[in-house]
Order: sequence, then structure tokens, then C-alpha cells
Amino acid sequence: MVMELEDVPGQLIKGLEPIARFGGNIKSIMHQRERKTPLGRLPVMLLFEVRDRAMLKRILAALKEAGVRVTQLGEREGEVRNTVLLVGHVVHTDIRHTIDQLNAIKGVMVSDLNLAVGSLGCESSARMTIAADNKELANQAISRLRSIADKKNLLLVTSIEAV
Amino acid sequence: MRIIIIGFGNLGKGICRAFVEKADFLKKVHGLVPRVVAVVDEFGAVVDEKGLNLPQLLKTAESSRTVVKYKGGKRGKLALDVINEVSADLVFELTPTNIRTGEPGLGHIKRAMQAGKHIITSNKGPLVVAFKELDSLAKKQGVEFRYSASVGGAVPVIGLAKKLLSGNEISEIRGVLNGTTNYILTRMSAEGVPQEIIIREAQELGLAEKDPTLDIDGIDTACKITILANSVLGMDAKLTDVKVVGIRRITPEATRLAQEAGQMIKLVGIARRDLLEVSPKLVPQGHPLAVGGTLNAVTFELDLAREISITGFGAGPKETSSSLLGDLIDIHHSLGG
Repeated sequence: MVMELEDVPGQLIKGLEPIARFGGNIKSIMHQRERKTPLGRLPVMLLFEVRDRAMLKRILAALKEAGVRVTQLGEREGEVRNTVLLVGHVVHTDIRHTIDQLNAIKGVMVSDLNLAVGSLGCESSARMTIAADNKELANQAISRLRSIADKKNLLLVTSIEAV
Repeated sequence: MRIIIIGFGNLGKGICRAFVEKADFLKKVHGLVPRVVAVVDEFGAVVDEKGLNLPQLLKTAESSRTVVKYKGGKRGKLALDVINEVSADLVFELTPTNIRTGEPGLGHIKRAMQAGKHIITSNKGPLVVAFKELDSLAKKQGVEFRYSASVGGAVPVIGLAKKLLSGNEISEIRGVLNGTTNYILTRMSAEGVPQEIIIREAQELGLAEKDPTLDIDGIDTACKITILANSVLGMDAKLTDVKVVGIRRITPEATRLAQEAGQMIKLVGIARRDLLEVSPKLVPQGHPLAVGGTLNAVTFELDLAREISITGFGAGPKETSSSLLGDLIDIHHSLGG
């Protein structure tokens, strides 16, 4: 969602409070200072999760009531997030390539990556969060990752919930 | 009930101790008076059709490491001969597991069934190698055949599935079925210590075998998954049908990364009609399978009850005697006792 706020102190909270009040889970906030509007307003891009459409409706109504101008609203339904571990020579087998191969699936994105480099000569570990638009794409991403892991001799540890 | 015990290691001694300690309870509550008429170990056998004095036998076996030294004990006397010659109702087959041939347990069980004796075993070998054959032989001979202690130790995995949940169709069984690997993973995750060091300590504490390969490489769990697939899901599965990855490559760093994301790494076995698998999995903290230490845990996916999970101690002579004794009482009642 993009909302336009006056560039004066205390405006951001006006836009966030209704989201929090109705149970929205804010994932990221980005000020787009370089895109200031001719009227001097500041676009703020927000990413948040809602449980259902009713919750979104209540948030939008509350924002309107608070005088916050919403200029863009994009929805993505039912995002599936899978956390996996990779153990092996994760870096040396080109982790960039591994990630690119997953991101190449439309609707799939590696959204988080944490590395723990093992001591000299030992294997490293990586934790990856893979976001997918739906369950089918999530499964496709996991099976692609499985075949990459096989080729690169990495141990793939998936979640019990992804079985 | 007249009983022969084959194999007098931790489990054989454990069930005898339970007979001694719970004699009054068994008689009063279940009307069961177990009379051990023969015990066989690797050195020989001791037979007394009037019933062996169990406290005395346990004492002898502790001090001399064999039952042969008990009054009337015969060195070199073979289990197969005892099964044939001694008049008894039931045989406990508790010899060490051999997952390749199933022997010597397989031969003992077959002979006992052919002799019309009921069988209780904890031995995974014969069950992995010849489950269907033994199951049909038991039916053909009209003898009872129980093996609760082979999976889950004290946790009544098989009994729960086959008896109490029998109104359900079971679509999947998944579980943490190996206490040794669970202990290793739990400590790696809590202390960040490399696997080799924890294995060494586990061996000193008696929690890991001298050769822990079968545990670490997931083979022990795969055996249990094979047994569950055959006995509970009615499949005709072999050990080689199970896709197995052990925990050897899991590092302390991997357990830390998992922990930071609110997850634990567990060696999980899965039995489903289209999938038999053992591999390390990420299990969210608070999940029924996220059990620590040497605990075992099993979850059933069911059509009516949806999901049922149980957890408990997967090893130890006293704990496992709970399953062995449970099988005995079950047979006693099913015979009208």
C-alpha cells in the first residue's frame, strides 16, 4: 500500500495506528522521499499482512477517517513462506546461482538468507526463507531446490510442515 | 502362564525385574501369574518347569554374566532346543538385532510359532526382514504375535494404532523414533558442541552404542518406519524402500540457524503409503515432535481423530519392560485370562 502523508512530524503514526489496531502485521515501511508530490506530500510504501478481507476493509475505513490518503493498494493473497536449511559447501557451490534458480520461478522469491560459515575445511550452513504466491509454487521451489542440492552435494533440511 | 525368555541382556533382565516387583499387581489386577520356566543367553540355558527363582537368577546373572551358573544351568544349550523341548505357553525373543539376516531372532520366532508358542519380541531384525512371513505363520499356527517394544520403547505406538485407533484410517505416521540421535541433536543445539564430542559423551553415559552408525545414519529409525509401514499401514515394505538420510552432516551452526528461526532439527521418520522416508527436518518449537533429550514422539494423521500425538521414553530396560509386559497382559486377556 502506498499512502501520502504530510511532511511534518507525527504523520506516520497516523497511518500506522489503524493497521495495528485492527490486527494488521506490518512487515516493512519505506519512505519515498525522492518522490515527494507537487503538494509537498510524502509517499510511504507499506507492506503488511491481514488475516482476511474484512480486516483490510476495517483498516481502510479507519485510515480514511484519520484523513490518510491511500494512493495505491496492491494485494497478494495467501503467500506461503518456507524456511529451509542447506548444509555443505554452500558458498563455494555458488549460493548466488542457487538463489537465482529459485527466483527464476515466477511468483517465488528468496526473501531471507542467513549464513553460518563453518571453520576451515568444515561445511557451512545457510538458512533460507522462500516466499511463494501459493502452495503449488512453494512445492515447485522446494523440489527445484532439492535437485540443486543433490547436484551441489548439499544437505537440504526442509520443514516438517512442508511434507 | 509358562514363559521362556531368549536373550538375557538389559531387556531380558528388565522384564524379569518387572515380574518380581509387580507380582502382586499382576495377580490382583490381571489374574496373571507369569512363571519363567527357561532362560537362554549366549552361553547356554537354565530350565526349571516348576518356575525359576527370578531374584536368584538375576543375582547370578549379574555376578557371573550368564544364567548358566544358576543351579542346573547347562552351558552350550541352544535356544532352538529349549523352544522345542520345554513345555511353555509363550516365548519372549529378546536377542540382539541383526537387520540384515534377522538372525538368530528370526529362527527362534519361527520355531516357537511352529511349536504353537505365543511370541513377544522387541527384536527389530526379524520384523524388518520377514514381517509378512511371521505374521502369516502366527495366524496359520493360531498363536499370538506381539512386538510393541520394537518401536518407541515405552511409547505405545503400535498398540495405540492397532487397538485404540482402529476405527480410523491412518494416512500418515511421523515420528522422532531414535533417542540417541535426539539426544545428540538436543545437546548440539543447546551447547553448540560438535557431534563427535557429544557422541563420545553419549557412549560414556550408555546412551549411544559403541558403534553408533545405525543410529546416526538413520538406519534404526528406518527399521522402525518399515515395521510401522507393515504392521500399521498394512504395506509390504522392505528396509530398502525407505529413503534414508541421517544426521551425520548436521553441524552446531545448522542447529543454531534453525533455533534462531524458532525451529529445531529432528531426525524424523515418515511412513505414508506413497512415501517412506527418514531425514533431518525442521520442527517448530512447541510442535508435538519438538521433544528434547532421549524422548521419542509420534504423530498419527487420521481420518476421524485428525491428529494424535504421543511422547515418552524410547529406550531403557525399565521403560521398555512397560511395552513387553503390556503385550503379555494383552495376550493373557485375549486368551480369556
